[in-house]
Amino acid sequence: MGRQLKFNIFRYNPEDPKSVPHMESFDLEETEAMTLYIALNRLREEQDPSLQFDFMCRAGICGSCAMMINGRPDLACHTKTKNLPDEINLMPLPVFKLIGDLSVDSGTWFRAMNEKVQSWVHTDKPFDPNAEEEPMDNQLAEEIYELERCVECGCCVAACGKANMREDFMGAAAFNRIARFMMDPRDERTGTEYFEVVGNEEGIFGCLGLLGCEDVCPKEIPLQDQLGMLRRKMGWQSIRHLFSRLLPD
Amino acid sequence: MFTQNVAQAKQPYRTDAYLDTFQMFSGVALILFMWSHMVLVASVNLGSRVMNSIAHFLEATYLAQIGGPMIALIFLAHFVMAARKIPFNYKEQKAMWTHSVRLNHLDTWLWIVQAVTGMIILIMGSIHMWTVLTDLPITAAKSAARIQGGWWLVFYMMLLPVIELHVGVGFYRLGVKWGWITRSNRKSLKNFENRLTIGFITIGLITLFTFYFIIKAA
Repeated sequence: MGRQLKFNIFRYNPEDPKSVPHMESFDLEETEAMTLYIALNRLREEQDPSLQFDFMCRAGICGSCAMMINGRPDLACHTKTKNLPDEINLMPLPVFKLIGDLSVDSGTWFRAMNEKVQSWVHTDKPFDPNAEEEPMDNQLAEEIYELERCVECGCCVAACGKANMREDFMGAAAFNRIARFMMDPRDERTGTEYFEVVGNEEGIFGCLGLLGCEDVCPKEIPLQDQLGMLRRKMGWQSIRHLFSRLLPD
Repeated sequence: MFTQNVAQAKQPYRTDAYLDTFQMFSGVALILFMWSHMVLVASVNLGSRVMNSIAHFLEATYLAQIGGPMIALIFLAHFVMAARKIPFNYKEQKAMWTHSVRLNHLDTWLWIVQAVTGMIILIMGSIHMWTVLTDLPITAAKSAARIQGGWWLVFYMMLLPVIELHVGVGFYRLGVKWGWITRSNRKSLKNFENRLTIGFITIGLITLFTFYFIIKAA
């Protein structure tokens, strides 16, 4: 017989005027290799069909099932209950708009972020669909892929002190995105153009360096290294600009 | 008739970058000053004459008379730069506190430590600087007299850990923010920084002990 797990789950439906935010408790017997995703599905099937939470891939790829698990943001599908205590508190991710219970609208946030950082390859070269693709150095391709692995789950944003305080702060997911395009030789944006996107208080200079993002990222993307690199590049660029203004040729 | 020409190349807004970079440089300057300060004050453990001759050298070369007020200016400027990051409205303060309690993440707590110690240092550091710089020259006997008075001992027993914590956490965070501390060396550099902070607090306590019990007051 498995452990008896107690789930305290945040319940609230903003669409229902009678709904009041509260925590609701559920008991469930732990089974072998149980993940939080499995537990939540059983709770919904066996105890309360109105329980709202997001999921799709069940394999840590889609990023839909991110939630606060005992205060820490993580993916429900790759969190094993055996690594958690008997009592498990589940809350929706902060910062994002609540849809209901554990479900949040991270899509709108990420769409806005991708538009803000202009998350696409900027080039003036005309696209020829029949031309052979330009080869890329394998190591560089792997380095870009390392950052491209982001599943936009929103854990880094939920773990960010600044994003919790200021809703206009771009967050580590955006910085990671910019770092990815800065590495890409096909993107022809200049340093000044990148600076315009990220060189301000809503961007990299607003980052407090708390590293909540780095410590919770379920995909273990090297976010810390991107934050440091961006600040250094943008900082030196501003100093160079200042000196060029003070000491013109 | 009023006409206006706006045919200028568009340049991004750079003030945030300048302020943040200046905050970094002022932080580095103050960290280096605090380490040098501790070494100079702790020289009293080698005897009053050692400290007196260092103090005399600093005053004879006008380093104390010019450097002191300059450090005070950097100290105030650093506070203004860093205070831009501290939430002063209730909504943001509450959001940060709720987040810190919920996440229970050491580096996030350390930022609150840094913000609180910064406020304390602004007051206590100013009192210390005013007291010392308006009573030059610095001598071991005068410092001992101040500390042996009693209240100043309590004052410095509080100021010492507050400053060393702020310097230690600030040093670590500067490295993180500007990318000198990376994922690969974060753990070892954090351990090094913790040991350095404990080391400086220990040296500071030994120095206070020396001033209180060993050095003859003026």
